[in-house]
Amino acid sequence: METLDIDWQHMLLLYGLCLLPWTLLWLLGTQLSRDIGMAVVRMTLQLSLVGIYLKTLFELNDPWLNSAWIFIMLVVADFNILRRSRLKIRYFVFATLTAMGFSILLSTAYLVLLVIKPAQVYDARYIVPLAGMILGNCMQGNVIALERFFSTVRKNQDEYLTFLMLGATRWEALRPYFRQAIKAAINPTIANMATMGLVSLPGMMTGQILGGSEPWIAVKYQLAIMICIFTSSTLAMIANLALSLRIAFDDFDILNEQVLQQ
Amino acid sequence: MTPIIRFDNVTLSRQQKTLLSGVSFEVYPGQKVLIRGQSGAGKSSLLKTLMGMYPPSEGSVYFNEQILSRHSVHHIRNCTAYIGQEPVLAADTVREALLLPFQFKAHSHNCPTEAQLLILLRRLHLSADILDRHVAKISGGEKQRIALARGLLLHKTLYLLDEATSALDTASKQAVFDIFCAPQITLLAVTHDADWFQYSTTIFEMNAGRLTEIPQYGNP
Repeated sequence: METLDIDWQHMLLLYGLCLLPWTLLWLLGTQLSRDIGMAVVRMTLQLSLVGIYLKTLFELNDPWLNSAWIFIMLVVADFNILRRSRLKIRYFVFATLTAMGFSILLSTAYLVLLVIKPAQVYDARYIVPLAGMILGNCMQGNVIALERFFSTVRKNQDEYLTFLMLGATRWEALRPYFRQAIKAAINPTIANMATMGLVSLPGMMTGQILGGSEPWIAVKYQLAIMICIFTSSTLAMIANLALSLRIAFDDFDILNEQVLQQ
Repeated sequence: MTPIIRFDNVTLSRQQKTLLSGVSFEVYPGQKVLIRGQSGAGKSSLLKTLMGMYPPSEGSVYFNEQILSRHSVHHIRNCTAYIGQEPVLAADTVREALLLPFQFKAHSHNCPTEAQLLILLRRLHLSADILDRHVAKISGGEKQRIALARGLLLHKTLYLLDEATSALDTASKQAVFDIFCAPQITLLAVTHDADWFQYSTTIFEMNAGRLTEIPQYGNP
């Protein structure tokens, strides 16, 4: 079964649907018209470029090119995580890249090499979308973990110092904030897993069904990707926070405010 | 005799501001040393420097002749109790606040008994029922005494008090003086309170980051 293509005229018709919320939001005076316009244009351009790139990537199917693409995705995610979690990029760039790289490569390799086992292990059709999906979801969790951790330590600076003055080691004093950050970051993934299929049909599964896969195969892939997202998110968050402790705190366990964006 | 604390020409600058300027002094075991001075003179910065919160920009700080460094800072914190003017109890109930340090590895072997808690509370004019009260529901004076009790339960070598009795009434303050005047306790206190002066062995005046000893008090 082939997926039905949408021709350009019908794509334009699709964009017409956007006019309905756009008009309503304009009438409500939300002043979002420009933002919506920019978002729709950016989305179209970015996905078109990805479409062109992926088409080439799949045709060439070169392991080095595939690896380079994954590395670029990791670097972009790295910068995005640090910018959104309000940490200075020059201090944390390698720590976050290491944490993300380790967790993404581990779970993608596990899934591709041990579970799916395609004829070519570097097959772009498998590793690029799978690594991309895992990375995208991992990114959200890591932004929450880092942002929550450093904002909580900053907000509770007096409490943190009190723990230190009462004889706590750096790890003992930071542990409550570490736990809070991990919980806040991992909860959306847990909630997503718990309600999957009830509240909404997951994107990957829907895509595969539309692409002509049997529902059972789509379900198995969805389960595989969720387990990998959960695993790599958790590993990346813990590694990212653990590595960031060495950068953000001085020899006397005091938070170095210079590493945070004001 | 070896001093417990030795500041050797310590200068502290933070955010392009000099908080301590060439500070040198020593505190010996059993001494009760007071530092007085106007607000913003650098008194609290001095205590925080010793605890490694503000590492010195120049000069050296020694604790039992061990220089303050990344290797010794945990030892210094484990041997010293620091109690500030507005203590953070960091717990829900008073009991949890008192037992908080014993969750940490450094003190986990030394957890006090209920009887020890009650004796100490009584000495500080606090009733037993305060143990189960929420820390948000106790007064500023009670909070200060709980913080002092928490420090005392740790049996430290040195006590650093930063205006730690500012919210206490006369009777409670006297109870604190009686405890801290014990010969085995070494005290370095920052205070505006003249009631402390009669219990001191040495008084220093801090003015714009400079420390000078007030001679009439001298060392005994």
